[in-house]
Amino acid sequence: MKYGWHAAAFAVLLTIANVVFYVGSRGGASTGQPSVTRVAEPDEVIGQELMMALAQAKNFHHKAKVYMTDGNLAEATTAVRQILSLRFPPNTPEADDVRNDARALLAKLLISQNQLEEAMRTVDEGIAQSPRESFFVANLYTVQGEIHEARALALDTGGEQAKAAEERRSAITSYDKSIKINEVLQKKLMGGK
Amino acid sequence: MANDDDILTSPVPEPDAEATAAERAHAKTFADLVDKTLSGRTPPAMSADDRALLEVATVIRAASGNVPLAPGKQRSIVEDALRQAIGGPSTSMPSGVTPIASRRRWLPWTVAAGSSLVAAAALAMLWLRAPERAPMAAAAAPATWKSRPADPLIGPIAREHAGDASSRIDYIFADRMDGYRDRRLSRGGKR
Repeated sequence: MKYGWHAAAFAVLLTIANVVFYVGSRGGASTGQPSVTRVAEPDEVIGQELMMALAQAKNFHHKAKVYMTDGNLAEATTAVRQILSLRFPPNTPEADDVRNDARALLAKLLISQNQLEEAMRTVDEGIAQSPRESFFVANLYTVQGEIHEARALALDTGGEQAKAAEERRSAITSYDKSIKINEVLQKKLMGGK
Repeated sequence: MANDDDILTSPVPEPDAEATAAERAHAKTFADLVDKTLSGRTPPAMSADDRALLEVATVIRAASGNVPLAPGKQRSIVEDALRQAIGGPSTSMPSGVTPIASRRRWLPWTVAAGSSLVAAAALAMLWLRAPERAPMAAAAAPATWKSRPADPLIGPIAREHAGDASSRIDYIFADRMDGYRDRRLSRGGKR
């Protein structure tokens, strides 16, 4: 009986010590200050969901390439459009890049099918939805310039020289924008500001 | 035993009268009987006169106080009172009742066991968390494990390659697959 109460007291003290240590260690881990050696959060690392989406995008691109080789631009366009409806994990930069690249290819396919307005809408949507500037956004501006050039050519053919000139100026503006984005990004990647 | 009736029915002697030998012998026998009864060794058989006298003696002794109860009886009464105080059944329902003495014996060990379990659980949780903390302190997750922009991988896209998305997605996929496999095959990838 006497030793029983001693054991109980020891166990209670041990429990209290453990709980205090546990709470203390948790508190230290969650001080809210980001650690220099912090491991990336699960939604920041490359996961299976992202790899699946990238693999699907890759397959649709290859499918479109086969159709393009066959000269079937309509089917190629359909294949590229499917990339835009793929579900990527939220907040993954790769998703923006892959979608913008698909929009650039889609716009070029539409240009080759003389669907200039649809091509311009595709590019404009991509630029508007991009959360950051990237080489892929710059590429969209490049394609946008090509669309302006194609429009100018069509206007030239139709005898609308003034509008054609305006489209050419717009094309230059788009190319300049693309060049500017590329320059800024390259400087940043090389360590400059 | 026929003499017993003579004692009770015989005339009461004078207070100062000398006791006879028979009376002395009977008094000694009765005194032994009272002593045995008080010590819990009551004879199974005795005369009706002796039993009546014995009951009178018992009543007189009880009335004078200082009558200790047997240890078993004392414990039974105390336990019954305590049991009723905590809302338990009385001794009229002895079956299934755990004696308080037994509870008292096991209570500290129960508290010790419960507290030890809690302590062991806390230790186990700390230990299980340890493998996650080790890589955290060792190094940050490599950049190749993280989802990130593909700009450094692809670089500026020349105008003549504006539509080469197919080859670019191949590069992006291969690069990210390397990082994904690296993370999965390393210890840090067990998240």
